[in-house]
Amino acid sequence: MNGPDRTQERLQARAPEMELIREAQKGSRVAFDALVRQYESQVLRLALHLTGSEHDAEDIYQEAFLKAFRYIGNFRFECSFYTWIYRIVTNLCLDQLRRRKTRKEDQAVLVDHSGDEIDLLASVSDVRSFSNPERELDRKVLGERIQAALGKLTPRERMVFELKHYQGLRLRTIGEMLNTTEETAKNTLFRATKKLRSQLAGLR
Amino acid sequence: MNCEVAHERIVLAAYGELADDQIHELDRHLTTCNECRDEREQLLALKTLAGVHSVVEPNANLVARSRMRLEEALDALPPKRWYERWGDAVINNFGRLQAAPVAAALLLVAGIGAGSIGGYEVAQARSAHAAASTARAAVRTTVVPTAPADVASISSIVQQPNSEIVQVRYNEVVPRQVEGTLDDPAIRQLLMMASEDANSAGIRDDSVGLLAAECRAGHSCNPAGIRDALMVALRYDRNEGVREKALKGLESYVSEDMRVRDAVLEALLNDSDPRIRTEAINILEPVEADMTVRQVLSTVATSDQSPQIRNVSRQVLRRVPEFQ
Repeated sequence: MNGPDRTQERLQARAPEMELIREAQKGSRVAFDALVRQYESQVLRLALHLTGSEHDAEDIYQEAFLKAFRYIGNFRFECSFYTWIYRIVTNLCLDQLRRRKTRKEDQAVLVDHSGDEIDLLASVSDVRSFSNPERELDRKVLGERIQAALGKLTPRERMVFELKHYQGLRLRTIGEMLNTTEETAKNTLFRATKKLRSQLAGLR
Repeated sequence: MNCEVAHERIVLAAYGELADDQIHELDRHLTTCNECRDEREQLLALKTLAGVHSVVEPNANLVARSRMRLEEALDALPPKRWYERWGDAVINNFGRLQAAPVAAALLLVAGIGAGSIGGYEVAQARSAHAAASTARAAVRTTVVPTAPADVASISSIVQQPNSEIVQVRYNEVVPRQVEGTLDDPAIRQLLMMASEDANSAGIRDDSVGLLAAECRAGHSCNPAGIRDALMVALRYDRNEGVREKALKGLESYVSEDMRVRDAVLEALLNDSDPRIRTEAINILEPVEADMTVRQVLSTVATSDQSPQIRNVSRQVLRRVPEFQ
């Protein structure tokens, strides 16, 4: 309902990202900078969440946009620019994930104050337990535990889960970005959720 | 439906990827199958858990740092020479597979051309300098360019083993000059390139000024050429003097060209400089009755930061009766 935003949206819908891209393809730095500004937050958000490190996210940002600058001449408008950029970023993220040394398996069981094992999934059904201030520390530990579980997925599984669960993209789009089919993306998602569930089901 | 299929569909449904009829089918299965109902609960629990590791918005510092670093890296790239741009244009404009061998052949020609021209230019530069160095001076002697501006980029730095000698390869910028009238396509081409020169606001100002003057005089201000360049300058140039000149150049096209109109409306809504926003209102006078223009003016009349601009917008709206 915001007046200025909707008018601007309508204008921007008519206004050509296409023009910007064409100008950038001809070599215009001004146009390329404008494209960067449109996509930079999304790129950083994804890279930051995936790598967990501002430093790594910055590196991915740098490489992604430098690549985009170098290869923007190859962009043929056969997909959206959004998909094209994301394809570059996800490939860089995949490389990063592959490069990371395998962390030592964190087999530590989560325990509560009284020393009893916590079955994480059993406690999840009561979502209020997460907002309980006494369990702030548990929340932090939980977060780390989830990151560890995510780290056990293969890079592709991690990537698909990230794009689906955290970035909310459609499986078809994810397939495009990873240069594969929607069907493959689906199967990768199934594997990822299965693995995560067994990781997080609590060690008895 | 067997349970294995159901398990997969449970995942798809949880992520909004299941077709409506399949959702219905799944729900029917779940009313009768305890195991699958449990499976669904487990998956929903996983989703909640996974949410604890939440997505964080990158903070402003991170964005700024990243952007600055990128700008520096882009600034350090050697500028594309005309033959490289030409090669790019050839590749971009040709179709795909059939043209690929042709394009490759042309690129090869361009590459050879580039190599020899590059060599030729270096040789020119050498002889142009008063120094007594030979054509291979850059590698052998200790003569360095007198001004940092003469160096386009450094391509390698090698320290000789077991010595204090360091070898630096660099590329030079060769200043050239060309003269002609504004009708000359080569001059126009150079002016359009200049309008995108990210480094110098003064250069962009001069070139956009000249291009805008051409457009005002109605001298072949083609949509695909100068007009586009002016619109890009109006939308994205960081310098308000440049944007103002671009705006004035587009004035005569606001009635006939929707894209120009849109660009001017965007300037009216978004430009940070009130002078430009005011000028945009003046320029929109011939199309005051246009629906989109009126909508933008209404928005501006209530939400612009400057009281004068709000006032002027209201006056304009009153001037033209509304169409039903």
